[in-house]
Amino acid sequence: MTDELRVSVERRGDSGAIVYTKGYINNVGGEEIANRAYELMDQGVRTLLLNLRETKIVNSIGISILIEIIEKMMDKGGRIAFCCLTPVIHKTFQIMGLANYASIFTAEEDAVKELTF
Amino acid sequence: MTATAERQIELTLPMVADIEIAAARTAGNLARELGMESESIDEMAHAIIEACINAREHSGSADKRIYVRFVGTSAGEGNPRIDVWISDRGRGFNVDEARSRRSKLGAVHKRGWGLQIIEAHMDEVDISTAPDGGTTLHMVKYGKKS
Repeated sequence: MTDELRVSVERRGDSGAIVYTKGYINNVGGEEIANRAYELMDQGVRTLLLNLRETKIVNSIGISILIEIIEKMMDKGGRIAFCCLTPVIHKTFQIMGLANYASIFTAEEDAVKELTF
Repeated sequence: MTATAERQIELTLPMVADIEIAAARTAGNLARELGMESESIDEMAHAIIEACINAREHSGSADKRIYVRFVGTSAGEGNPRIDVWISDRGRGFNVDEARSRRSKLGAVHKRGWGLQIIEAHMDEVDISTAPDGGTTLHMVKYGKKS
């Protein structure tokens, strides 16, 4: 029915990483992102940028899982940011309060300049 | 006199994983035919997805079907609109309780945001629901930002 979510990771130094997503972030997609994020946290990553440039649709279940990832990272003293959101995904993040706890950047370059990897 | 064109589509969807995408894609195709702006289409798609997920996850309907109807209207150079009805034959729900849910980090309820998302993305939303009488969401989206 849908394009299965694909996730790829680019490490940035010892404590940073960029996670790229492609496809629908639903419950299954959210869990896939969470699994990758938790692996990275276990490896010492404390600055994580999620680049959603190839994700056009999210649902509220997927976003609730993203909120759980943010909570875990905050517990570890780290930081999560997002970039390359569609206007509708950005608006949905704001509705659900996610934007209050994670930085949102228009472009990856802007995020990389701001974040300390 | 301005000619008014109307298109109607009806779908009966099984309550299976990701079926919401079928409804959203159908609405998107209709919206593009009517000349709606892409951001309006994306907003409508996200609202339809949440409405279908609510029906699938929470209605408890015995027939496990979602009934979807779209009516697209284009009046010449005017602003196109799509009316969407999403219905189930389930247990109904308490609208005030659903509206009052607020999710925050650290809160118990990270879920339950569907109605807020629907109301934020659509121009008009009307809910008919009754205990064991099913639920129908009637939503309207206009094609151009006012």
